[in-house]
Amino acid sequence: SQKKPREPQIPRSLINEIFRHFAKMPVTRDALQIVEKCSERYFKQLSNDLEVYTHHAGRTTVEAADLEVLMRRQGLVTDKMPLNVLIERFLPLEYRKLLIPVAMSGNKVIPCK
Amino acid sequence: MAAAGAEERQMLAQRLKAAVHYTVGCLCQEVEEDKDVQFSKQSIAAISEITFRQCEIFAKDLEMFARHAKRTTVTTEDVKLLARRSNSLTKLKYITQKSEELASSNMEQKEKKRKKSSAAKGARTPGEQEAAVTENEDSNTA
Repeated sequence: SQKKPREPQIPRSLINEIFRHFAKMPVTRDALQIVEKCSERYFKQLSNDLEVYTHHAGRTTVEAADLEVLMRRQGLVTDKMPLNVLIERFLPLEYRKLLIPVAMSGNKVIPCK
Repeated sequence: MAAAGAEERQMLAQRLKAAVHYTVGCLCQEVEEDKDVQFSKQSIAAISEITFRQCEIFAKDLEMFARHAKRTTVTTEDVKLLARRSNSLTKLKYITQKSEELASSNMEQKEKKRKKSSAAKGARTPGEQEAAVTENEDSNTA
């Protein structure tokens, strides 16, 4: 029962679930396999791009600004579609709380910077 | 006042479009001679329109990249980032090579200018200098 060392990846079930949710129609098994391959390549490209953008800003740590630049380049974030709107639309509440500044009681703003 | 500004802006856009159209025509002519094909007038017009629109996208992206690096001036680094998506431009190192060429020629020019400016003691106005720079860029892109 020796397992081949695999590259870390998003769980297959999660990819399938997300794809089925957005596709809204029956998807064959082969198609789902292709989707998995694509998401793998997507992450490779993503990390390359993020590295370049971070270096471009003279940093070695990837920050939220780099991701916003990336998403702008992908055409997801535009002048009419700010990043925060996308976050609100696609992320569950607990993640939204971490990303979008919210004023709480006692003059606290979450997330604190 | 605002209407006059808009009209002026439209005039400027038209002039720019005409310039792009002319340059695209020249480039197409070169290709025609090279590949032995013909471009219809409509296709040349379409290419020039595409080029114009693409420039808007380029400008926005370059501005974003410069702002991301906390600069207000677009540099060759930003242009390199812009060209990253295109395999033929990056993998063949076309853009990198071009920028290195430009850098070396810029150094030469700067030294020349330094000699000139020390001789003329800043007789040229900044406007004239800008015009000279844009001319150089044109000759590089053509």
